[in-house]
Amino acid sequence: MRTCQEFAELYELYVLGALEADDRSEFENHLGTGCAVCSRGIKDATSLVSLLAAMPEQVQAPSRLRRRVLASVGVEKPRWGWVVAFVATAAALLVTVLWLGSQNRKNDLALAEARAEIRRVAADLASAQSALEFLNEPETKQVVFGQGQQQPPRGRVLLNAQRGVLLMAAHLPPAPTGSIYELWVIPKQGAPRPSGLFQSNGQGNALYLRGGAVDLPSTSAVAVTVEPASGSDAPTSTPIVVAPVGGL
Amino acid sequence: MADLYDRYGRAAYSLILRIVRNTGVAEDLVQETFLRVWNRIHAFHSERGALGVWILTVARNRAIDYVRSVDGRISLGASEFEEQEGSGASADFEQDILSTDRARLLRDALAKLNTNQREVIEMAYYEGLSQSEMAERMKQPLGTVKTWVRGALKILRAQLAQVAL
Repeated sequence: MRTCQEFAELYELYVLGALEADDRSEFENHLGTGCAVCSRGIKDATSLVSLLAAMPEQVQAPSRLRRRVLASVGVEKPRWGWVVAFVATAAALLVTVLWLGSQNRKNDLALAEARAEIRRVAADLASAQSALEFLNEPETKQVVFGQGQQQPPRGRVLLNAQRGVLLMAAHLPPAPTGSIYELWVIPKQGAPRPSGLFQSNGQGNALYLRGGAVDLPSTSAVAVTVEPASGSDAPTSTPIVVAPVGGL
Repeated sequence: MADLYDRYGRAAYSLILRIVRNTGVAEDLVQETFLRVWNRIHAFHSERGALGVWILTVARNRAIDYVRSVDGRISLGASEFEEQEGSGASADFEQDILSTDRARLLRDALAKLNTNQREVIEMAYYEGLSQSEMAERMKQPLGTVKTWVRGALKILRAQLAQVAL
């Protein structure tokens, strides 16, 4: 058994936890006897070792660590406020951007629809203007079709040797998707001549002017068929409109 | 707790960071240190010792235990004596533990150590290595290491006794 004098060399190492296992065991047994000398020695050694805490270079701890430490002991609530604020702000911005995007898309769509409507109205107006001028021409002749039919369509075909053919139809539902109406000028001799593609409106009305000179004496009829959207060089279906013009 | 952290947080963080050399781990261990102190502070008796000493002792033990667990070595065991609330330095010591004057005296004392003596003190303090572990690390005879340790402690006692006691 070592003496207190011999143990004195171990005080700091004991405090540092740097004693060998057997030395530690032996020393703790000694301390267990209530040795006042060694207990005092340990206290002094603890003071000495404590001074070594200033040995490391002092560095600044991150500010978040203080919040974290205080939050962990319940002194300060975790500061999620900035996260909430950030998320809320981001969400608000996102909603705003989406709304603006939606509004822009709506506005763009409305604008596009308005422009299309203007184009349609302008086209209709131009057609109506042309039709009016066409009708006012003294040389314009007209025939009716569909009269007496129970099923539509019905309407008129107006022909002018210099200005062409004008079709005015009612009860002519829009051609099915992927198809279109095609006007034919059918001569007395030879194959029907393709004379333009058109579509009726949602109300089932159609106003179509095929400009250009028409040889009325050689024309027997004006007809309309349903054709593929790109049109056909020759009728591929039974005419839904046939307006005989042989007597003009 | 806020005052306690404001007073010793930096020292605890610096000490732990020096031992573990990883800022993320250091932050975790600082939190663990103060949580441990907070949970046991009801048992602290100022007349038995200095609060700062206790906190930094806990900080050091937590850090060394972490390094030892990573290295697969046996835990320091945070010798219960070391971490007994308030054991060790006197309460009067509290004001001085991290003071500029104390730090200067410590630097002066450490400056009197030779390279080997400084190294063994650092290994004991920062790593909790035993003298045989130091000998193995330094590839020196155990007797030589013990001589260095003994000499270093003698110098430190002489230089710091007047302020440490």
